Amino acid sequence: MTPEVAGVIGQPVEPIEVTLSVNGRDVTANVEPRLLLVDFLRHNLGLTGTHVGCEHGVCGACTIRFDGELARSCLMLAAQAAGHELETVESLSDDGTLHPIQQAFNEAHALQCGFCTPAMLLTTQQLLRDVPDANDREIREYLSGNVCRCTGYMGIVAAVKLARERQRSARPPDRS
Amino acid sequence: MSEDTIGRREGEPWIGRGLPRLEDPRLLLGRGRFVDDISLDGMLEAAFVRSPLGHAAIRSIDATRALELPGVHAVFTGDDLRAACSGPLLFEATLRGRQIQTTRQSVLPTDRVRFVGEPVAIVVADSRYVAEDAVELVEVDWDPLPAVVDENDALRPGAPVLHDNIPDNNFGHIEFSHGDVDGVFAGADRVFSKRFRLGRSMAAPLECRGTIARYDAATGDAEMWATGQGPYERRHSVAAVTGIPETKLRVVQPDVGGAFGLKGLIYPEDPALLVTAKILGRPIKWIEDRFEHLAASSHSKEMTVELEAAVRADGKLLGLRARYVGNAGAYAQLPPTAMVDALLAATMLPSVYDVDAVAYSVDCTLTNKCPTGAARGVGWVPGQLARELLIDEIARELELDPAELRLANCIGPEPRTTATGLHYDGGSYAESIRTVLEQIGYEDLRREQGRLRAEGRYLGVGISPYVEPAVFSTAYRQATGFGIATFDTVSVTVESDGSVIVRTPFHSQGQGHHTSFAQLAADEMGVPVESVRIEQGDTAGGVFGLGTFASRSAVIAAGSIAAASREVREKLLAVAGHQLEIAPEDLVLRDGLVTVRGSPSHSMPIGAVAHAVYFGGPAARPRELVEPTLSATRHHDPPETYSNGTMVAVVEVDIETGIVEIVRMAVVEDCGTVINPLIVDGQAAGAVAQGIGMALLEELHYDEHGQLLSGSLMDYLYPSATDVPAIEIDHLETPSPVTAHGVKGMSNGGTIAAPSAIAAAVADALTPLGVKIDRAPITPDYLISLLGEGSAVEHLHPEGHVS
Amino acid sequence: MKPAPFAYAAPVERGQVLSLLGEHAGEARLLAGGQSLLPLMNLRLARPGLVIDLGRVGGLDQIRTDDGWLVLGAMTRQLALERSGLVARGAPLLAAALPLIGHVATRSRGTLGGSIAHADPAAELPAVLLALDGEVVAESVRGERVVPARSLFLSALTTSLAEDELVASIRVPLAPTRASAFVEVSRRHGDFALIGAAVSVQLSDAQLCEDAAIALCGVAEAPVRLEELERVLLGRRLTDDDVLAEASHLATTALDSAGVVDASAQYRRRVAGPIVVRALKQAASQSTSVERAE
Repeated sequence: MTPEVAGVIGQPVEPIEVTLSVNGRDVTANVEPRLLLVDFLRHNLGLTGTHVGCEHGVCGACTIRFDGELARSCLMLAAQAAGHELETVESLSDDGTLHPIQQAFNEAHALQCGFCTPAMLLTTQQLLRDVPDANDREIREYLSGNVCRCTGYMGIVAAVKLARERQRSARPPDRS
Repeated sequence: MSEDTIGRREGEPWIGRGLPRLEDPRLLLGRGRFVDDISLDGMLEAAFVRSPLGHAAIRSIDATRALELPGVHAVFTGDDLRAACSGPLLFEATLRGRQIQTTRQSVLPTDRVRFVGEPVAIVVADSRYVAEDAVELVEVDWDPLPAVVDENDALRPGAPVLHDNIPDNNFGHIEFSHGDVDGVFAGADRVFSKRFRLGRSMAAPLECRGTIARYDAATGDAEMWATGQGPYERRHSVAAVTGIPETKLRVVQPDVGGAFGLKGLIYPEDPALLVTAKILGRPIKWIEDRFEHLAASSHSKEMTVELEAAVRADGKLLGLRARYVGNAGAYAQLPPTAMVDALLAATMLPSVYDVDAVAYSVDCTLTNKCPTGAARGVGWVPGQLARELLIDEIARELELDPAELRLANCIGPEPRTTATGLHYDGGSYAESIRTVLEQIGYEDLRREQGRLRAEGRYLGVGISPYVEPAVFSTAYRQATGFGIATFDTVSVTVESDGSVIVRTPFHSQGQGHHTSFAQLAADEMGVPVESVRIEQGDTAGGVFGLGTFASRSAVIAAGSIAAASREVREKLLAVAGHQLEIAPEDLVLRDGLVTVRGSPSHSMPIGAVAHAVYFGGPAARPRELVEPTLSATRHHDPPETYSNGTMVAVVEVDIETGIVEIVRMAVVEDCGTVINPLIVDGQAAGAVAQGIGMALLEELHYDEHGQLLSGSLMDYLYPSATDVPAIEIDHLETPSPVTAHGVKGMSNGGTIAAPSAIAAAVADALTPLGVKIDRAPITPDYLISLLGEGSAVEHLHPEGHVS
Repeated sequence: MKPAPFAYAAPVERGQVLSLLGEHAGEARLLAGGQSLLPLMNLRLARPGLVIDLGRVGGLDQIRTDDGWLVLGAMTRQLALERSGLVARGAPLLAAALPLIGHVATRSRGTLGGSIAHADPAAELPAVLLALDGEVVAESVRGERVVPARSLFLSALTTSLAEDELVASIRVPLAPTRASAFVEVSRRHGDFALIGAAVSVQLSDAQLCEDAAIALCGVAEAPVRLEELERVLLGRRLTDDDVLAEASHLATTALDSAGVVDASAQYRRRVAGPIVVRALKQAASQSTSVERAE
């Protein structure tokens, strides 16, 4: 067996050490290989803003940012994250003031129970980066990987557009 | 949307303002405190051993191998739990006040299981991971029994019997008749009939259930942190089955990620966890996973409806007769039991239509499926589907416009008692139909429909006027014959600094109580909304009530906050009058100040008045004020109140693929006086989305052995952002004459009306092809099977079909 | 639902992967993007004794051309393929199908090789590979092997790859002048296809068909090439009514031989014809485009 294997097949598995960056800070921990990344974030690091809705990659409640791209943290092992950069909803604000996207969600009534909200916020932030000129249909397609059971998506789409409008007016004028 | 809401001018009421929610920041920052976010010292985690079979006897349960696994602390069966507590660990479920059956459900049965997922043992380990490993090592010797899954099959002689005390599997048979029904049908020009079946769905909130239980042997105090919709019903039932006195059991319901009725029900896991915590002396956490949720929480609405209408040649509805057969699953679920679907469908039979001769019969069949309980829309949904589809079929047959036919049969706006005994408090029934048709451009739509048909495209319009029972109070339960009375209290207290605490027995799982109730209290108490704190969800320091479900909270809160506030206000004004040496009648409470009427500079802050009461001694108060406590707890039990509205769906059906596209969705809704329009719109949109799910996407399939086929979210399909269109919402406001501020509850309207609007639109689109819609959800393969044959095909027994 | 325990390896070199596979074939599963494997493991439907994480192995995610072929590393993320100009130009059918696969958050992690090796009958990428007559380059301790798509997909979730083989790269012939379309029916945006049609055709200047490749997903245990239809289309104009009618008929009858009779198979049989027709029309309009018949 090559040295990189953690554990012997059929025997109890020893934890492995992982170091990763979470919301800009380096974290080192010992994790069992099968520990899901979402559980690591929530229970090992206490970052309970990311939620668990299905554990099979359908509902999107566990969405985080992984090396700058959206990812479902229930479909990743904490071990896979070693050496990578993660951002969770907690990265939007570290002092309790609302990030402009969060502010837009509040004003547009884009949340009710709040369970899908952290994932929706990160997805919105990514949408505004990836597809800044998305029309309504494209906004809905981009959001379609995140289930909301409460809002019917109306407030969320409105919040996306409100956040975009504010982002645009806050941006410095075009150099051209 | 935001401009108008925050810059409220002094003196203006808070009711009616679209105030952005006060509870949002915490949730937005990811600092919500849902059950799984809570961790207690020494906490262990649990998983349940659950039945893999739809119906089986249990020969033995052997936990030897499971107990050997490192990290496993215990495996308990029902016998172990019963030995450790004084309660029966048994739910006896029936609907009080009706002559119906009782089902008995053991918390962890040792003799027999009746549905896939029924828990039979609890495993406790260091982590959920290890607990799941151990669950697989528990060896249960099952003896399979024949199963029955269809609500009609289970009533037939010879069907497998689920409960020995209910040999015909019929949990509740109820019959009702009003007016000369037989005579009307015998003498009618035409009689139309329809058989419709709605498939099984569920509330499926995004957060699954969860409970943390803790027991302190030194004091006998027990605590449960749990998902829920109001902590008192939960405390009462868990106390009763475990034998723990209610005064020893505290139930805390933290942030809850959606509920829609499902989390207000009573489940065996909670008492199992509590007794386990007692035995082990450590807190035990159980967080339901999505499979458990789909298999073993609560299902809803599965029903066969057979409906007949007696009609005059000109389209006047003369009589309605219906039989509702609900699929109750394996046990009646408390508090409402499965009658919440079949019986409530029946009592809403006439809806907005002026029909006096009405008869119904209700059957509620026990089957080897997950128990069915209350989920948003309840039985009103299948009832509405059957009725509105039939009305359209009548319109087509008589060559009348379906909108005109509805308007011709619509009740007037004044209060009335329906043939089924409901006391409507008036509404905008016909007006909402006319308004939404104008909003949608009905005439233009019909022209466009014709143009598209010529191109071989199939556009359809479906109209669904609805009435929504808007408060589950004693009066509503009496009117429907639906079981026991309700009891709710609210308290209003002014603290020593003048801020206000409102304690309610309700619980918000997204409905925004912290904002809307604060708006109510701010108006009543004359304080800024920011100085009102709403407390809910904790039996410690709370006030009793049944909780949040069936749109009841706003109406009851409005009435009880008003009543409690009135009393506290009088005391404040008496003390302020004493302090200012002004007669209390000349004082006004507004914006946190007690002000002399007509002399705004002559005032004192409410905080100063409160301070005087708490710290100023008797001299600070008028001698006549015998009871100076700045707090009042008041009970409120409002009469019936009903919201209404009309929904229109425009769909295009792709007849080659069976895919239905919702082109437009419009609703005009009337919930009386609106407390917060943002919240009302949010509820309306969310309800429509769930209605779309029931119409097109959501169904829980079982095979004929009771094996659950829809065990993941790849099978049970949530509507996503591309499945729900931009919903056009417009409002009418008919204040209720019988409630505080004229407030009516709302939230179910979209679930009641959207499925039938969509189904009716599909049927309307396919009229040239002679297709009738007899079931929902309307899946692509159902439509293709209808279109292939060119005429209606019976699709009433979908068991065994993989959609 | 948590996965069962497993041993875990995160090698950094391809050779280490191969020797682990050689030693533990049968008990080991390769972890590529995890979008197919992790759900199965979380549901405990898959319980490998050893998970070999490919995430640190270098050299498996290149996108390049080589002598008339587009060569794609097996670990190339679907999102990277979606953003690649080389893919857009060299394999427009692949570019057309990618936005239909799952959602943004699954495409950021999901890989080309992982989807191909997983061989879900309803997945888009196996049908695309089949329509493009692509090849898989498989490696093991026994050496390298090229497996054409036609002999790769055996049945549901089963390929002809050996237990100790790693998909190293996927090759498709560069085909910038072919017209393509991918059309699928699914319950919701991003869901697996109920039925999908991948069409890649070479049209002459006169718009006559010189070569056609049509593959369906979701209709059988593995993606299916409609070979008889492909022959019938030669020399004809795709947009002619009689051609489309024949195409619809042949697509339908091709499924009859599949022999499955449940309700969902009847649905697919009825819908295959119209979907193939739509895909042919779209391809013929000389634009690669994406349509979901929802």
